[in-house]
Amino acid sequence: MLSRLRSFEASRYSIFIILVVVLVAASFLSPNFLSGDNVFNVLRQVAVITILAYGAMTLIIGGMIDLSAGAVMAFAGVASVLIYKSSNSMLLAFLAGIAVGVICNLINAFLVATLHTPAFIVTLGMMLMARGAVLELTQGQNVLQLGDFILIGQGNLGLLPIPVLILLIITAVIWYLMNQTRYGRSVYAVGGNEEAARAAGIAVERVKYQAFLINGALVGIAGVIFMSRVNAGLPNAGIGYELQAITAPIIGGTSFSGGVGTVFGTLAGALIVGVLGNIMNLIGIGSYVQQIVMGLIIVVAVAYDVFSKRGRTKTTILKSAPPVQPPPSAGESPGALENANPKQ
Amino acid sequence: MSSTLLSVRDLNKSFPGVKALNQVSFDVRPGSVHAVCGENGAGKSTLMKIINGIYQPDSGTIHVRGEEVHIKSPIDARAHGIAMISQELNYVPEMTIAESFFMGRLPLKYGRVNWRYIRGEAKRVMTEEGLDFSGNRRLNTLTVSEIQTLEILRAVYHSAEILIMDEPTSAIAHKEVESLFAKIRALRDEGKSIIYISHKMDEVFQLADDVSVLRDGAIVSSQPAQETTSARVIAQMVGRDLDHQSYPKERVELGAMVFKASRLSRENAFEDINLEIRAGEIVGLAGLIGAGRSEVVRAVFGLDPLDSGTVEVDGVLVRTNTPKKAIEHGIAMLSEDRRLVGIIPKLSIKKNATLASLKKVIHGGFHRSSVEEQLVTEYFQKMNVKAPSTETRIESLSGGNQQKVLLARWLIADPKVMLLDEPTRGIDVGAKFEIYKLMTALARQGRAILMISSELPELIGMCDRIYVMSAGRMTAELEPHQFSQETILKHAMNQIEVA
Amino acid sequence: MKNLTRRIAAVSAAAFLALNVAGCSVTTGNPTSDGGGEREQKDEYRVAYIARAQADSFAAWLANEMKAEAANYEDITLEVFDGQADDEIENRLIENAIANKFDAIIIQPNNADAQLPYIQQAVDAGIVTVTTNPRVEGIDGASSVDANPYDQGAIVAQAALEQVPENANVVVLNGPAANFHGTARREAWEKEFFDQRPDVTIVAEDTANWNKDEALTLMEDWSLANPKIDAVISMNDNMASGALEAVKGKSGFDGMLAYGVDGTPEATLLIQEGTMTATSLQDAAELAQLNLKAVHDLLSGAEDNVSVNVGNPLITKDNTQEYIDLYKEAGLIGN
Repeated sequence: MLSRLRSFEASRYSIFIILVVVLVAASFLSPNFLSGDNVFNVLRQVAVITILAYGAMTLIIGGMIDLSAGAVMAFAGVASVLIYKSSNSMLLAFLAGIAVGVICNLINAFLVATLHTPAFIVTLGMMLMARGAVLELTQGQNVLQLGDFILIGQGNLGLLPIPVLILLIITAVIWYLMNQTRYGRSVYAVGGNEEAARAAGIAVERVKYQAFLINGALVGIAGVIFMSRVNAGLPNAGIGYELQAITAPIIGGTSFSGGVGTVFGTLAGALIVGVLGNIMNLIGIGSYVQQIVMGLIIVVAVAYDVFSKRGRTKTTILKSAPPVQPPPSAGESPGALENANPKQ
Repeated sequence: MSSTLLSVRDLNKSFPGVKALNQVSFDVRPGSVHAVCGENGAGKSTLMKIINGIYQPDSGTIHVRGEEVHIKSPIDARAHGIAMISQELNYVPEMTIAESFFMGRLPLKYGRVNWRYIRGEAKRVMTEEGLDFSGNRRLNTLTVSEIQTLEILRAVYHSAEILIMDEPTSAIAHKEVESLFAKIRALRDEGKSIIYISHKMDEVFQLADDVSVLRDGAIVSSQPAQETTSARVIAQMVGRDLDHQSYPKERVELGAMVFKASRLSRENAFEDINLEIRAGEIVGLAGLIGAGRSEVVRAVFGLDPLDSGTVEVDGVLVRTNTPKKAIEHGIAMLSEDRRLVGIIPKLSIKKNATLASLKKVIHGGFHRSSVEEQLVTEYFQKMNVKAPSTETRIESLSGGNQQKVLLARWLIADPKVMLLDEPTRGIDVGAKFEIYKLMTALARQGRAILMISSELPELIGMCDRIYVMSAGRMTAELEPHQFSQETILKHAMNQIEVA
Repeated sequence: MKNLTRRIAAVSAAAFLALNVAGCSVTTGNPTSDGGGEREQKDEYRVAYIARAQADSFAAWLANEMKAEAANYEDITLEVFDGQADDEIENRLIENAIANKFDAIIIQPNNADAQLPYIQQAVDAGIVTVTTNPRVEGIDGASSVDANPYDQGAIVAQAALEQVPENANVVVLNGPAANFHGTARREAWEKEFFDQRPDVTIVAEDTANWNKDEALTLMEDWSLANPKIDAVISMNDNMASGALEAVKGKSGFDGMLAYGVDGTPEATLLIQEGTMTATSLQDAAELAQLNLKAVHDLLSGAEDNVSVNVGNPLITKDNTQEYIDLYKEAGLIGN
């Protein structure tokens, strides 16, 4: 019985199957696709969005969302650029980017976790505030002449581009956080059923703060890499990135209702989006058609995922009817004490 | 005319990994109540869903009045005169009574919904039944029992011949049960057939003309009710003889006072509640629903705030304003609402089980997966949790097995005090018995146990002492020699007098 | 940490000072005007500038220049409104400005067709109305100050005619779909360059929405698919600089030509460095000067109608220092 179940587990890997199909199709479509240059090229291109996607994933798993990611990324990246220009310290600049990301997200966390305001509204507000702040900071002008700041986004360590290296490290760290720590367990529980998590002794508010904290650090790092990659402090950067960042985890099987999602699913989701964009550029498909294809992929991937999971739910119904509970209105019947008597 | 209204032959249904139904055959006579009994997970719901067209069988046939039918959907089922009064009533809360009466088949006039006709018909039917609802009332203003009545009326109005009722009394009050039964008998006398699903034996034997028992997806017996007994049906359901009269209670030498709550109050919930539990003691907390029993344990456990009062564990005053702190002080609480305050549906049973003891499985910066697996396997074996693997999502288990996983969660946390709120609600007989045995074992280990239950025999059978609450106040503390359903009830309904 | 926040504050303050050239007496934000005011000779004129989008770097620069220029007129108070790149908002701002009885309204349209009826309303209300960057055609009684986008593209395209080698492979980066400036510049390239040079092949063309990062990604992919690209033809400088970023240090792209439009500070630096070839200046300062002059002349009755264009000088390696100095003076390039 177990082996039959396991074969059925294949549906859990549907996203990876889609990724492989995309990769194979891409390598047929363009001889350049599998060249070493292009592999790094794609990874470099997806680094920023994937890092943002990990932040979005941990929040969505915890039952929250961050609409401010794109704007905070721009704010953090520009702040980092300005700090670098005034201090010439790479470390300080990097920390500044992270600090801005973290501060904005701690404000989000305070409103969401402590004051119980819906994350959707809070982060929508933060999106406007952060965008306004970065535009005010730069008066809408691009910040230029970044000097060696561009190493983070454009440099290589050996053969490995630094953004890719950072992406790999972050992937490992996030995997560790989600799978090996109490935080990871807790955030799945909070997103899966907040009341039950609280009743199992999880400090729900703290978990929410931690999720926003992680997101903040990731958004900050993404901002630094982004600005470094484009060799400019762009106050307009990242418009719409909050939605792109949500796309990857959702394609990768993260459930919008919370409590479900994996790091590698998210990575696969981001790679699918990145590879599709890359291959379409390589073979000269215009951006209008690209949008249609991307939209289709999102819908198809999620529909397929839901479809295959529905199959799996059926399998695990196993020995039982759906969980049965008297509806809450049972509390209205004063006679329940007498009529519940199995002993006769 | 055939002597059977509905005839099911050799139905098989598999879901990957499990055979849900195995060669199921049974007959429903016209003008009869046919009870289908079985533990949760025995295949009752699957069978009913096939008859109602929600699932398709892998093989087998269904005949209605001797004619073979293929039921592809609930709409087909309706066309063949089959209607299901669902277990968890599904309705649109904002819909009006009249509208719900015609849901899915709104009559049209000139292409528009004929509201005048709808309201007229709904009113006529309800007047005939002696109900005085306005057809414009919204469903969310009705009680569960009233909605159930409406569903039955609707089914009959749309000429259903076979009504499937899945645990119809699970959510309604005692008085309402009587009128439901009267209604069922009246329908039977009109020549309609009712398939009645229940695991409450008293109901089954009050109503049924025939009884079929399902176990592990197969029919183990199908016979007229007069020819069997409730003890036999229970034995057939669980597959072994279970002496239902005796609880696996052991008297344990009581130890020191482990738990003491003094003068607990919370506005509009309860007032001046004192509780004491010794090591090895199982203490009952009885009362009518709404008496404030669950509220007391929720507040003690930190899920709701306390206005005043103190809690002591092992003689030390503790603050339990969050569940986290309560757990740290050795208090555990199993909620009456398993789905809302118990399980994390999408997580595996393993992760559910260790959720309250994460420090035991994740420490030193790493997840000790073999430690976790061992711990969980040990408890699951002890408690006889039935699941394909420890990675199975908890939402796919039966209620009884979910409850066992939640109990395992607390056992792994190793608490001194266990507050169990309706620990056996909504789970089948076999699992209940296992939970009783477990409670006994826990008491033997010297834990202090508080059990809230609405099933008086359960309290009487399992407890060393019973507190009774009424309207937010403690009205009695009973010793074993005072235990009787009458005494408990008397105090539970007592509003003023303090025993 | 504390130190760091102080640094951020310090940097932002510095940036602020640098950009707010000359202490200007202008206000921004929503006016809470009581609405009085006749259209007669007055000591004080209230002028509304409705900008396309403060988040667009050229539009923001222009708005800053407008504020700075207004400070030179003692009888003009300028209020700046942000259209947020949204027709609906831009139209509402025009209506508000009419209702609040401004003496003059300068409109930088988001979409000329969408704003046309609202601009007409302003004219009909007897308010001095100037459209700029781009000009809105077809309104009687409205004045305009603009840079001609066709000319901007054409001057660069003409320069490229000589420079782009025989049988060259080029890539083209376009502005957002249906953008007036983007379309006109592309048209200029078509007529002035591609029609004259049938030997040139466009190996890739797409929109990068004026954005540096989108152009970067496109060029990364294009440069892999096409190992030989002789020139990047971009409808603005941002995208040209993004494309250059993609091939920086890549062998085989050393001598690649790159053309833009706008003459942004970044482009002037890239031209000086030798990585970018040419651009044409769309001078926000000059636009602002001509706009304010037009408004002043119209209000004081010196003119009835104004329709002028700013120049669009070609910037190449030969004259780039001149513009870098200009930007340094404005604080848009650091030292």
